Amino acid sequence: MSTLNYRDAVGKALQDSMRDESRLILIGQNFAGHALKPLADAYGLDRVRDSSISESAMVGIAVGAAMKGMKVVVMIAYADIASVCHMAIVQSAAKLHYLTNGRLRCPVIIRLPIARFRGHGPEGNEVGASWFYNVPDLNIAMPGSPSEAYWSFREALTRPTPTLFFEDRSIQLRTGDVAETNPGGRAQITRRGDKLTIIAAGRAAALAEDAADELARQGQRGVIEVVSLGIIKPLDSETVLNSARKTGRVLIVQDEPIYSGYAPYVRCVLDELPVGALACAPCIIAGADQYLPYWDERPFLPSLESVIAAAKELLK
Amino acid sequence: MTSSSSAVNLDRTNSIEWQLYTKMLTTRVFEEALLRWEHEGKHSAQTFPSKGQEAVSIGTCLALEKGDDVIPSFRTRGAMIGMGISIEEQIREFLHTPLAAGDSRDAPHHASWPERGVMPGSTMIGGHIAMAAGIALANQCDRKLNVSVAFFGDGTLGSGDLHETMHIAGNWNLPLILVCENNGWEMSTPWPKVRKQRSLIPYAAPFGLATRQVDGNDSLDVYHSARWARATAIGGQPVFLDCLTFRLGLYSSHFGEVRPGIEKELAEAEKRDPLKRLGDWLIGAGLTTGADLERLQRDENQRVEAAFNAVRGEG
Repeated sequence: MSTLNYRDAVGKALQDSMRDESRLILIGQNFAGHALKPLADAYGLDRVRDSSISESAMVGIAVGAAMKGMKVVVMIAYADIASVCHMAIVQSAAKLHYLTNGRLRCPVIIRLPIARFRGHGPEGNEVGASWFYNVPDLNIAMPGSPSEAYWSFREALTRPTPTLFFEDRSIQLRTGDVAETNPGGRAQITRRGDKLTIIAAGRAAALAEDAADELARQGQRGVIEVVSLGIIKPLDSETVLNSARKTGRVLIVQDEPIYSGYAPYVRCVLDELPVGALACAPCIIAGADQYLPYWDERPFLPSLESVIAAAKELLK
Repeated sequence: MTSSSSAVNLDRTNSIEWQLYTKMLTTRVFEEALLRWEHEGKHSAQTFPSKGQEAVSIGTCLALEKGDDVIPSFRTRGAMIGMGISIEEQIREFLHTPLAAGDSRDAPHHASWPERGVMPGSTMIGGHIAMAAGIALANQCDRKLNVSVAFFGDGTLGSGDLHETMHIAGNWNLPLILVCENNGWEMSTPWPKVRKQRSLIPYAAPFGLATRQVDGNDSLDVYHSARWARATAIGGQPVFLDCLTFRLGLYSSHFGEVRPGIEKELAEAEKRDPLKRLGDWLIGAGLTTGADLERLQRDENQRVEAAFNAVRGEG
């Protein structure tokens, strides 16, 4: 498949899904002046629904449509707004399949763009994936590359349970090849190495790749292996464990505070390894446990410098 | 329950009045049995009896057509009965028998039979209103001439999801019918303490919904209003039916009666009991007799008890 940037890969996933799934509908806001206008023009206002600012009802409506066999993509303006529709996500969408003993499916994607580094302030620069990490039957995609963006989106529409799709606008111009086939929810080894595994998702995975490339430039070629999770729940433990076994050292990078999320979970997964399998304790770099000020979010988040520094420390 | 066992020699079973009466009676008898069985330790699920409000659910469901869907509230067992879910099927969900279609995962008052038009509700007040609108959206996209119905109490007026959904449904012309069982109480709080007007129509109409004030204790008024609502919704305008009624029973089997000093109002409301009203109408129309209705109730009690024992015997 072609080389795309991250933003266009999400767009292509949506376009291809609309083309391939005649009973897929899109619910969003402000379509008239939006990049989605071509979809509305192509598929009509039946399938591309312009809603009022009613996120909770938008998600609830998606669940109801799923009850009748529809697939639905709900476009939320940015990730923080997931808090507005938390009830509909957790109580209505996530529980539908379980509550009906599997008689009803809920192939619904809730798109939650991460809108950092744009001056939105603390009510507009959160990720929020970790808020939902303990909700059973709720899939969470956090793509870090164009290929993951494309395939985690397509994969989500095949699942009987809903997916939160955290797409990070800060990496939307990163380019990459989109794989020919769906990896089916498996984590991807995006850099190969044999001394240290960095496990991450989303922007953090992009940082990990950049750190691996920088260390290679500094002479440490083939040292860092990057496991890009793509889908953080359900998490591909097998790929994580295989890489950790191989390198014996693990760094986990998470773009949110450390109390919840994939970072502490991956650390639990690593406990499955036999004593001595790792040369040293796994290390986590996470966001600070504080809100991110409008004037500059970067000092409180993982950075290329902090990832490189941690990697070098672990490699000593 | 057939005409052959009646003292009145009329084939009445096909009349809408007779169907309304017998299904309301089943609802009443079944819910009273659920309370009794819980008291006797035969099941442990909380029951939210709809006594006095049965006309709303039964009158609405009998007005629906094949392919229509309903989402009951926690106090709308009549919707399950009105949609044709048997007593045995409902008891299975209470007892978590191997044949329980939903594996008793959801609370029995939210049990669902999706393939037969009874969709799962929500314990979050108002959450199911949006889901009903989603069903209506699917019907609209599929060009199906079907409606979806959400039942809810007047306390749902406080839920943001109701307002958000009415806002969208009115704008999208969804084939949605919102049926409010307006009994004037939010658990132990009378309506004047939580809103300015008893009727919910002033709140619904500005969103573009067609509205009708309904005597929720008159099953025939509910039935004919729901027929009108169905035609209106399919025609492209969602509908809000505000059914004024009164809860004659407990808030729930766990909470009991929570309305202090309600005795006088209850006595007055008993006179408007929808089951009694329709029974009197049937007698007046020569379709039955008082003795006939008493026998019918005894038979229904036995049938419900037999259903419970049969389901328990399924293992």
